[in-house]
Amino acid sequence: MKRYDLIVVGAGPAGLSAAIEAARCGMKVAVFDENAKPGGQLFKQIHKFFGSKEHQAKIRGYKIGETLLAEADESGVEVFLNATVAGIYLDKEVLVQIGEAMTHFKADTIIIATGAAENMVTFDGWTLPGVIGAGAAQTMMNLYGIKPGQRVLMLGSGNVGLVVSFQLMQAGCEVVALVDAAPRIGGYGVHAAKIARSGVPFYLSHTITKADGTDCVTGVTIAEVDEAFTPIPGTEKHFDVDTICLAVGLSPMSQLLKMAGCNMVDDPRRGGQVPLVSENGQTSIPGLFAAGDVSGIEEASSAMIGGRMSGLAAAAYLGFLSEQDKDKRLADLEIALDSLHQGMFAPGSKGQAFAKTDEGIAVSQSLLKKGYLDDTDLERFFHRSDQTDKKSGIHPVIECTQNIPCNPCQDACTRGCIKIGKTITALPRIDAANSCTGCGLCIASCSGQAIFLVDEDYAPGYASITLPYEFLPLPQKGQLGTALSRSGQPLSTAEIIDVRSAKAFDHTTLVTIKVPVAQAMTARFFKPATHAAGQ
Amino acid sequence: MKSINDRSQNIGSFVSQADDTIIICRCEEITKGEIRQAIHDGMFTVNEIRRYLRAGMGLCQGQTCGKLVKNLIARELCVIPDQLDPATSRSPMRPVEMKVLGNEEVTHV
Amino acid sequence: MNRINEHPILGEPEKGQLVSFYMDGKPMEGYAGEPIAVALKAAGVMTHRYTQKNHEPRGIFCAIGRCTDCVMIVDGVPNIRTCITPLVSGMQIQTQDGVTALEVSDETL
Repeated sequence: MKRYDLIVVGAGPAGLSAAIEAARCGMKVAVFDENAKPGGQLFKQIHKFFGSKEHQAKIRGYKIGETLLAEADESGVEVFLNATVAGIYLDKEVLVQIGEAMTHFKADTIIIATGAAENMVTFDGWTLPGVIGAGAAQTMMNLYGIKPGQRVLMLGSGNVGLVVSFQLMQAGCEVVALVDAAPRIGGYGVHAAKIARSGVPFYLSHTITKADGTDCVTGVTIAEVDEAFTPIPGTEKHFDVDTICLAVGLSPMSQLLKMAGCNMVDDPRRGGQVPLVSENGQTSIPGLFAAGDVSGIEEASSAMIGGRMSGLAAAAYLGFLSEQDKDKRLADLEIALDSLHQGMFAPGSKGQAFAKTDEGIAVSQSLLKKGYLDDTDLERFFHRSDQTDKKSGIHPVIECTQNIPCNPCQDACTRGCIKIGKTITALPRIDAANSCTGCGLCIASCSGQAIFLVDEDYAPGYASITLPYEFLPLPQKGQLGTALSRSGQPLSTAEIIDVRSAKAFDHTTLVTIKVPVAQAMTARFFKPATHAAGQ
Repeated sequence: MKSINDRSQNIGSFVSQADDTIIICRCEEITKGEIRQAIHDGMFTVNEIRRYLRAGMGLCQGQTCGKLVKNLIARELCVIPDQLDPATSRSPMRPVEMKVLGNEEVTHV
Repeated sequence: MNRINEHPILGEPEKGQLVSFYMDGKPMEGYAGEPIAVALKAAGVMTHRYTQKNHEPRGIFCAIGRCTDCVMIVDGVPNIRTCITPLVSGMQIQTQDGVTALEVSDETL
């Protein structure tokens, strides 16, 4: 039987982070993962992450995955792939299926980082080929370069549903509608806004009643639901689609912990059955830890911190790290984790409706129900005289109206125009002494794609708007198309006057359009004349 | 004793619903109606439903329907799902061929 | 037409060698090393199997080897999760019908 100081189950963000910290403390570490590739879901995350510098904000998930793998390699972690942990037994013995054999391993500490599984909903026809999980869509398009379908309806407006909808458009699929039974959009408003402005309608308080088709999906019917989530007859709407994507939440995959005999609790705020853990992830069994989504659904950034914490705690448990060093390093990580746990989408605020931002501004109801800010919101959030003293010329407009933990825009502006302050959930403010040069780094740094550079004085009667663009084909200078509003409605003809790509922008292209000056604060997307966006 | 395990409680008789034909367990093709009927037959736990109907005992081992079955039981018993235990977790966690399960690599250190 | 030739963030997808395989006897092409399910998707195959009880079509659902809905007969072995099994040149893939291979008449070839 092979022995290790630490066995980690799961090579996702939490598991790898835990393994790296432990190995750096001198532990002999093995990581088992049932998949052929390590990294868990990180390699499917092609969007820029939120948070601050210490959380690797504005870096795309798959890049973070590459860094973690390199770190694991450097620190001497042994990663076993296609290695399925079949069981966990007394005295930290683990049974692993590797190839055609069952192999026993033993460790003095174990960290379970098995992540989560997708929840499902049932409706007439939900077993038809063409009904898939949102994770399946991500796997197909982002790992294997294949479109899940041509026309897709997304069920679920949490961050997964929103992010995957956008990724579907990036892959060249058409998203015909985004549906959620809840009365409000569950994920970040900025994620919803980038889908809404490319013209995808949101149907809140709606659910799928039927998937049509005999051999595979050919269409879908949705209907409005009442307060008890029962479909209201007569409200049905039909869409021709070949794919229905389900993004209705995640549940911790905590079965191994239960098998090991850990004290478990059913906590709906954490997504289901989770182990009772200390702040470092130690379960009721000494030396057995849980990290990441398996101990409560969050996101990859907090999973990585949680992983590091349990890795350090495991090292201290075996004496590879002194108690003082452990306490010092854990304290730093706790601060980093705490900052991610603030704001309107904090784990403790799940499902809560906020009437006002921390700044006392009434939140946009339009954003919550339709996915975009309406004209009445603009007055409250972007009254120009509140944003800047600069009377003319180019200036940033930051359409970030919810308190979410994110601040890369503040660091991106070399002129110091953008201020968030110490509380990273604060809404960004434009400094009164704004001296914006139009460099565009803020646009590319905004993971929510919520920053636009507007110049009302571009030419007599015309304004320029610089916006983030992550679709193919890239527009060309001089190309004509349509300026779209925040709700994706066509406004006027727009001309591309500049297209900027740079390594520092990390695949976010900055497209500048020329529109009538009256649309300076309404035009937010560009649709090429001949092709639909993302086609 | 958890009140859920009180088999003498009256949960009323089985009344069929329009969507009873919807599949819940995709592997074993068990419908919502079959599961609801089983609850009214006295199967009050996820484990009992598994053994009675094989819902959650197919290839995927209940990974897709586990939560759906739990929610159905909770609704019929008028309890919140958190009060119900999920199915027992035991080795092997994933489907494995018998020839592989029997092929234990034993090394003594 | 399902393949993404160029992606705005990921660029050109990495591909293995173009190889042929057989789907219910019909020759098809895919890239070695990619999951069988991906090669089938690219070829427009949606139905991977028909269920045992109701003979209903099933295809890709979770795409990560968990739900077991995409199982097929691969080189004569049933219940192979095609979403996580890499494609190899010359593979014989068959639509699974219950737990055996779907009978395919010669005319459809």
